[in-house]
Amino acid sequence: MRLTVMGREIMKKILISLAVLALTATGVQAGPEEDRMAFVKYYKAKFPSVPDKEYANGVYAIDPVGRENWEAIEEFPPYEPFIDAGKEMWEKPFANGKGYKDCFPDGPAIQHHYPNWDKKQKMVMTLPLALNQCREANGEKPLKYKKGPINNILSYIAFQSRGQVVNVKVPMDDPGAVAAYEEGKKFYFTRRGQLNFSCASCHLQNTGLKVRTEILSPSVGHVTNWPVYRSKWGTVGTLHRRFSGCNNNIRAKALKAQGRQYRNLEYFLSYLSNGQEFNGPGARK
Amino acid sequence: MNKRNMIGLLILSLLMAVQVAVAADSKGDMAKMDNPMAVKAADAITKAEAARKKAASVDGEWRDTGKFIKKAEEAAKAGDYEKALKLAKKAEDEGKLGYEQQVSQRELKMPSYLKY
Repeated sequence: MRLTVMGREIMKKILISLAVLALTATGVQAGPEEDRMAFVKYYKAKFPSVPDKEYANGVYAIDPVGRENWEAIEEFPPYEPFIDAGKEMWEKPFANGKGYKDCFPDGPAIQHHYPNWDKKQKMVMTLPLALNQCREANGEKPLKYKKGPINNILSYIAFQSRGQVVNVKVPMDDPGAVAAYEEGKKFYFTRRGQLNFSCASCHLQNTGLKVRTEILSPSVGHVTNWPVYRSKWGTVGTLHRRFSGCNNNIRAKALKAQGRQYRNLEYFLSYLSNGQEFNGPGARK
Repeated sequence: MNKRNMIGLLILSLLMAVQVAVAADSKGDMAKMDNPMAVKAADAITKAEAARKKAASVDGEWRDTGKFIKKAEEAAKAGDYEKALKLAKKAEDEGKLGYEQQVSQRELKMPSYLKY
């Protein structure tokens, strides 16, 4: 069959379009490790003098002035009383005589196990959710997920887990786990709220720039230092409380703490920090 | 009059008082509903709430939409229908925009600045 010149031109255009589509699709369907490497490469190009391991320190990896203040604060850490209160919670048995120790026999340094894909429950399991499941299994009321005593026990576990390395796994042979990771990734890149910002707008595209007086932090290292004592809060709060705050800032209605969407976002964000050291609880402005 | 009769009388008068209050209130509501602006405001609030729920169904609700609806309800209750209409319209617009914002991003599009 002979093609006319016009036909050949059309065919060429179709082939080019298909090639472009295939390339775009490759980008979208990149796996977790490809995503992580792309983020690392992006930040490396943006902040060439920042060593990889520094990202565990969050914004202070790229903000020398803020870092000086932070280091001064860390000399008398404001989160210390919360660690002590958390230790008491860890040691104190529930009404039925059992305790956290029974649910987490290799604890309290268990931060590096979370978040993980729970095959049995077919969902992303985070540390606060696991703690509450332990409580409920033992007849105790679950703790609130943003403020209050959950931050005590999380502070104690985080402190005991310092030096452990983020090692999130997404079992690629489990479609549920892959879907959860992809949903978290989509959440990260989806613009929302009246300001039409996505997580990526601030923490990828504009990392290092300022919003009002604050320097925008990179996403690699976002999960390493939780729970955090924020001067703004005057207390220690959870990662999902921060997610809510971020959503509020862009004038989107915050979703439920420990709901599916935020847990999947945590799964994606945590994978990006693989290889970084846990150093929580942290102190932030 | 014995004690039993006294209590019965007391309950009866209480019931009557409640009935009068309810009648007065519903009369007030009826009067409000006779006002075309009140009907318009109630309709606008219903539409705004539907738009908010639709946006929320795709995780696209904006921060202040619910607050505007609440304020619109309060304004309508206080008889300030102009204010109620304005707030409800604002909330409805937000609901629609929030829904469209999410639906338009149904497919994940990776930004061009992130190189694989």
